[in-house]
Amino acid sequence: MISFYIGIFLATFIVAIFATRFFKLLFWYALNSAVLGALAILVGLNDADDALVVSGTVTILLKAFTIPYVLKNISKKFNIQRDIDPTIKIHYNIMLIPAIIVFTFYLVQPFGTTLGEYSNYVAISISALFLSLILMIEHKVIAPKIIGFLMLENSLFLLSITSTGGMPMLIELGLFFDLMIAIVIVNLLFKEEVVK
Amino acid sequence: MIFYFLIAPAVIMFIVSFLHIKIAQKLLPITSFFSLVSSVYLFFLDMPYSIIGEYLVATKLNSYILLVSSIVAIGVTLSLITLDKHVDISTQSYIKFYRFFATFWIGLIMAILSNNMGLYWIGLELATLSTVYMIKTNTSKHSTSEAWQYMIVGTIAISLILFGIILIYSSAKPILGEDAMNFTLLKENIHLLKNTFLFEVGFIIVSIGMFIKMGFFPMNLWLANIERASYYPVAALFSGILESAIIAGFFKFSSIAMSVNYNHVFVFVFIYVFLTLFVVSFLIFRSKDFIRLFSLSGIEHMALIVLFWVSGGYFAALLHFGAHAFLKPALFLSTGVLESQGKYKIAGALRGYRGFKGKAFWFLVGIFLLGIVSLPPSPMFFSEIYGFGAMIDMAKQSNHLILMIIAIVLLLFFLSIVFMRFIQIYQSMKYEGKEEDKKVYASEIFSFFIFAISLITLLLPSTFTYIRSIYG
Repeated sequence: MISFYIGIFLATFIVAIFATRFFKLLFWYALNSAVLGALAILVGLNDADDALVVSGTVTILLKAFTIPYVLKNISKKFNIQRDIDPTIKIHYNIMLIPAIIVFTFYLVQPFGTTLGEYSNYVAISISALFLSLILMIEHKVIAPKIIGFLMLENSLFLLSITSTGGMPMLIELGLFFDLMIAIVIVNLLFKEEVVK
Repeated sequence: MIFYFLIAPAVIMFIVSFLHIKIAQKLLPITSFFSLVSSVYLFFLDMPYSIIGEYLVATKLNSYILLVSSIVAIGVTLSLITLDKHVDISTQSYIKFYRFFATFWIGLIMAILSNNMGLYWIGLELATLSTVYMIKTNTSKHSTSEAWQYMIVGTIAISLILFGIILIYSSAKPILGEDAMNFTLLKENIHLLKNTFLFEVGFIIVSIGMFIKMGFFPMNLWLANIERASYYPVAALFSGILESAIIAGFFKFSSIAMSVNYNHVFVFVFIYVFLTLFVVSFLIFRSKDFIRLFSLSGIEHMALIVLFWVSGGYFAALLHFGAHAFLKPALFLSTGVLESQGKYKIAGALRGYRGFKGKAFWFLVGIFLLGIVSLPPSPMFFSEIYGFGAMIDMAKQSNHLILMIIAIVLLLFFLSIVFMRFIQIYQSMKYEGKEEDKKVYASEIFSFFIFAISLITLLLPSTFTYIRSIYG
């Protein structure tokens, strides 16, 4: 079941890279976050780790619903450009994405055995990290770059689940708090631009 | 209790920002003075002193860095009183600036005093995010794009730091459990670590994230561009306070990594610093405005601090850190006056000052400019002597003494380029160009006096003894 969720997690990343409309990108981000939250709950239940279950629930509530909703409202309110054509052409991305995924499996090999049962998932979370960087690089407009940042944060959360079995609860809550501050600042920056 | 005492100035600052701007402007330097009082209070406690369990701990190193940052904060809030006299800033932006300054301060206290990697990251992220809006207080089109750029590059850097922390945590969790996040426990039990490779990969990624934030090679220009685009107090905050929080983290992470494999850490950092100094020295040579000049010089000094630290010159690194933290914000704050006749008008920038305030201004800024290029008796002169001495001592214990001497000669060559450019600029400021009237305000002179007194304090034998005692 965990493999299934990880598969969907990676698939949403890949689809997000090809997205040409902002609302679709938001949808893939929401799905990506929902899958991540479900994964955390599943791992938490498997390992009897209540903190991870709480983190997973907060992830779903915050990242799968609240943040996409807020960002959608911001984009409507401030009339943000929703055509987000990637600057990296599709045929290059088709070659680049598998190359990154294969590369990360080799990257993880030296310490893969010490990571236990989730070593392959660590490789996927690192490849997700690279893919989110591609998402940030390939767009000229700012809105998809913000989604790239949020997906980067998701890939780090997956890494923390798979390589460490989750970070301490206090730290996880701090990360969520920082994420909320980031959204407030994004809102303020857009607002200032419109006021100007 | 001490925790509330520490964050009280920031909370007061936040509340005060809702009052009338004139009241806020006058009250804020007083609140920032309280932050200095609380930082000084830490020195009277038995260290290490636990502020919040194992999460926030006052050590000699943390307290020193926090004290330096508090002094810089006072200088910045004093110069903020006259910001609207030098630049076009709306009341609303002013108020928001103070509000985010308060948030920034809370994040900073968390990052500096943290004894937990995760908490350190949260504090650093909070401080980074709050500076994004401070950049945006400048309403020019250029600053808008730079604020977004800072948001993106800053978050990439900070994400790399988190990525590295996760790997370090993952390597240490099998032996320490959730306490693997604790700096002190990790350092004490590092010899038990089985997966050192994973730890080292984590450390390298953390370092790269920190180096990006400090503007090291190959990200040399992004910081200078951002500081150019924002108002000068933001640049002072970056160089004097935010970079202090980053370097505090580097000190903690690297001291653990050096226990794992010293040679790996040294070689990695040395190559990084060497490339940074090579690029930055030539960029400084070509810089044509004060902000870029000071910003690039800031990168040069951060690189030297990092190099001295990993060479075992802890005293030199901490002294250099203190001197840089006072000199660079002072210089950035002086640009409000220096650039009052135009951004690129270096010639004659130190001429045309009349009265006590004017004369005090050119005298102090002249001293700061010469101090930053390590002219004696600047604390930087002593820190560089001790720092390069530590590098030679370290090389004596290995078989690479000649290689180290060659490397030091090359580094000194890069530093001499920087020295030459600064002297050229100083001469141009003082002896060339037309004499144009420039206005200096009392609060600015007061803030420069604070920086000057702090620099003199760094040279006192008792300060030397204290800094030496931080790391044996």
